[in-house]
Amino acid sequence: MNKMFQTFKLTALSAALLAVYGPAQADDAATAELVQLTKPDSTISVGIGSWSADRPQQGIYDGMRDSGAYGLLDADIVKRDDATGTWMKLNASNLGLDTREIRAEYLRQGNIGAFIEYSRTPRDNPNTYNTGLQGIGTTFQTISGAGASALPMREVALGTVRDLTHLGFYKNLMPGLDFKVSFKNEEKEGTRHWGMGSQALFMVEPINSTTRQLEMILDYTGKQLQLQGGYYGSAYDNAHSLAMGLVNGAAQPGTTSSPNPVPLSLPLDNLAHQVFLNGGYAFTPTTRGTFKVAYTHTTQDETLPTYDLAAPNNRFVGTPSSLNGEINTTMAQLGITSRPMPKLSLLANLRYQDVDDQTPLSGFAGNNTTGVISVHNTPHSFTTTSGKAEATYRLPADFSVTGGVDVSKQDRTYPQFQAERYVPFRANLDETTYRLQLRRSLSDTLNGSLAYLHSDRDGSGFTTTNEAESDEINPIHIADRKRDKWRLALDWSPLEKLSLQFAVEDAKDDYGHSDARPFGLRDGSGKLYSVDANYAVNDDWQISAWFSRDDTRATQIGQRAPRDGAAAAEKDAQLQDVGDSVGLGLRGKATSKLDIGADLQWTRNHSKYNESLTLVGAGAALPVSGGQTTVAPLPDIENNLSRLKLFGVYALQKNADLRVELIHERWKTDDWSWMFANGTPFTYGTTTDGTTVTANQKQISNFVSVRYIYKFQ
Amino acid sequence: MKLLRQVLTLCAFVGAAVGMSTPMAADVSKPNDAPKTAVAKAAPKEAPKDLILKGDAKCTGCHDEADDAVPTMLDLRPSVLSIGKTRHGAVADKRTPTCTDCHGESEKHVNHKGSDKPPKSDRWFGKKSTTPVVERNQACLACHQGGKHMNWQSSLHANRDVACTSCHQVHAKHDKVRGKTTQAEVCYTCHKEQRAQLSRPSRHPIPEGKMMCSSCHDVHGDNPKQMARGSVNETCYTCHMEKRGPFVHNHQPVSEDCSICHNPHGTNIANLLKARPPFLCQECHSHTSHPSQASGLPTGRTTSTTLLGTVGRGCLNCHTNIHGGNSTVNSATAGRFRR
Repeated sequence: MNKMFQTFKLTALSAALLAVYGPAQADDAATAELVQLTKPDSTISVGIGSWSADRPQQGIYDGMRDSGAYGLLDADIVKRDDATGTWMKLNASNLGLDTREIRAEYLRQGNIGAFIEYSRTPRDNPNTYNTGLQGIGTTFQTISGAGASALPMREVALGTVRDLTHLGFYKNLMPGLDFKVSFKNEEKEGTRHWGMGSQALFMVEPINSTTRQLEMILDYTGKQLQLQGGYYGSAYDNAHSLAMGLVNGAAQPGTTSSPNPVPLSLPLDNLAHQVFLNGGYAFTPTTRGTFKVAYTHTTQDETLPTYDLAAPNNRFVGTPSSLNGEINTTMAQLGITSRPMPKLSLLANLRYQDVDDQTPLSGFAGNNTTGVISVHNTPHSFTTTSGKAEATYRLPADFSVTGGVDVSKQDRTYPQFQAERYVPFRANLDETTYRLQLRRSLSDTLNGSLAYLHSDRDGSGFTTTNEAESDEINPIHIADRKRDKWRLALDWSPLEKLSLQFAVEDAKDDYGHSDARPFGLRDGSGKLYSVDANYAVNDDWQISAWFSRDDTRATQIGQRAPRDGAAAAEKDAQLQDVGDSVGLGLRGKATSKLDIGADLQWTRNHSKYNESLTLVGAGAALPVSGGQTTVAPLPDIENNLSRLKLFGVYALQKNADLRVELIHERWKTDDWSWMFANGTPFTYGTTTDGTTVTANQKQISNFVSVRYIYKFQ
Repeated sequence: MKLLRQVLTLCAFVGAAVGMSTPMAADVSKPNDAPKTAVAKAAPKEAPKDLILKGDAKCTGCHDEADDAVPTMLDLRPSVLSIGKTRHGAVADKRTPTCTDCHGESEKHVNHKGSDKPPKSDRWFGKKSTTPVVERNQACLACHQGGKHMNWQSSLHANRDVACTSCHQVHAKHDKVRGKTTQAEVCYTCHKEQRAQLSRPSRHPIPEGKMMCSSCHDVHGDNPKQMARGSVNETCYTCHMEKRGPFVHNHQPVSEDCSICHNPHGTNIANLLKARPPFLCQECHSHTSHPSQASGLPTGRTTSTTLLGTVGRGCLNCHTNIHGGNSTVNSATAGRFRR
């Protein structure tokens, strides 16, 4: 109906113009309309918005953490010279915010192009810190001491900012042959919640690093053969390699086991070069082979920052000045896809990945008294060979069935010295996965799929560790595991205007254990239920809604050693996360000049941490140290987020809109991560430090914004 | 509005009555600059001329501006002509296809007579398309088989009957799946679990448009887990290169697969951790001394490692360099990521 009306309008308008102003003017009007429909257009948006209250949790990444007004400036300017196919683009977003981005691009389509892009990404820590720590942001930090050595407390904010500059160049060298270059330079600066071990003191990691990535690609695309080869280099440069943490007023320089200041290592510079070649060849119109090969050489050979420290942090005898880290990764893959008959599709591939850690084995630390080395570096190599075979057969009535098998075999190294193994290792790890899927597609009203997956992982025997008790665990990533997973998906359109989607997933993991090795994750499960609905009331109004529930559970069995008065015990933890999410959306044309919309998002996540203890020796249920104990079981945690967004776009004139947006946002949590058992904020140290961390558990804020949007071609 | 429409209609009839339609129709079909008007259709028949693409007159003879759906917020019907705003509308690039390159010659559709609905084009791409997915995708692969689409046929998406147009809007000025703030919404069409995870307190900045699903995933390729780079870690290192090492003291799961401990789509625990310390750490470490402690919140200020495994950063309160350390001091601390 609306389409007919629109056609009528155009017809009537053209005819009227023709009648009144003559053919030339009618042509002009129609031409203008066609240009509007077919030529690139641009918009510039200028506005202002304001949040009524701080949003520490919801404003982590969006640059609007604090209450107050923000400038809203965006632009999407596109020009094309049709005669040469030359595009000039300027895209800017969030220019008034700390999340600003701007990109300029020149492209002579099919010939040559270049772009430059700048993007800033903030990450503001949502917690509030009240601390006496001095030197935040530097590599020498002083922790508030005891008594007279206490330092004045003040509130500090932590966070990082990434500034990314991306340059790109493209040139078509000849038909089918393209050359592309991409260079990214990212500066990351700021502060990150860190800490000093042994007695847990608050420190802040000073972040000032640069990441650079250069990729050069030569792409050949022929009718049968396609090749892509190139170089990818990446480098990490950290301005800081070591930080020192001094406890104010404590004896200096301390002892080997308890120095003051304490040196804390930071990530060192590393570098990787990769060359790669990918190819594809169409043997026939229905059979295609592909291959990939890549070789990566990664090094970390910066001088160790603790190498030249004076006593009591001086190096152990024989410690090398550099790790001379070197990892060479080789990847090769062969694949083939084929449709030998219209109803049958086949897929097979074989992949080999060898991560070869060539870092020399050296001693780096040892006995604090004798100075003899007993701690070595831990190079880790692993080779994974995997294969996949899959077939899909198309059945009558638009059904198809897919069956497949994946096989993975991994050879792994482990620390050479038993005394330095804290976790059991495996030299071999194998996994086989079987998949079956029944699918119906191409139907007008009902499409869907039912999929089942079963995998079985096992491996060689476990190595022994430095302590017999540690041999009793099945480490999660190498433990025997049986996995079963179901997935049902339906896409149903019972009415022309109504579409529904249903998804149900069920996954179960069963981890291996034995009497000799009883501990670790015992089993896990995950369920997902999801419903989506979309209803187009008419050509002007549309309603959408969705709901999803996910339920994840795990059973973890462990042991507790007797310590601080607590008895030895077996632990049985029942962990659960349940998430419910609801989304509602409305879009409509209220009048010929006014579009309106509304979105409601509501999410609740509920986590349970039920752990029960079975005491197996003499002692108390809970440890006591320095007059403090712990309270268990842990309380549940619930996070709630509600966000209602309303907007309206009013056409002031043909080429200008006014957009008004209102948001009401509520965030609430009872997360106890930064709390003592009585609900007070967590405080570091006993007599020293005193840093208090406060999580902002309830946040309610409203946003209102107005934008003027100018459109042009 | 109604009055204005009536006036315009009246003018149209008056204009027609004085016989002005013929000269107008003679000059309305210049390619790219002089389209036919609806009135022109009533004029003596002239072979339609191209509006945007070379040879598009075969289609735009009917699918002209009068027939087109102006893009709206609801996005219910695609605008055929807005392909002119896209790279597929840049005819100076000699590789640019025309309508029939993608939709087929569609003679039955073109030559249909009568007032009933014409048969579909040879290849059509709507949600309810009956054109086999392989055939639909072949229309795209005829030009886009190289580069990042080289491994499309062996990708998971291709083998689950996902069509290029399941995600891409070829005629739209802004293809949603290529937009930083709109891509995730397209992916959520199928990936419901990730939609729920991305509303959790700890997540990547995807809702803010600072990252996209495709920042990490190459949905056209066949890498494990559809990662953008050759492995999970290689992909994570593109932004978190400080974790690459190698370190003097490597933490083995870190160098092997970040996703052993982290769920990049979102969790309820800080730093995308899959489980909360001490439970997470005790999935591998359960031996004597304080690492074996039971979970519990301390009753007050303490420096006892037996009481600090749950509160705050949990085990990481002390084992602060958990991704790897480079210290050469103190055997008890350096090798255990405390220095």
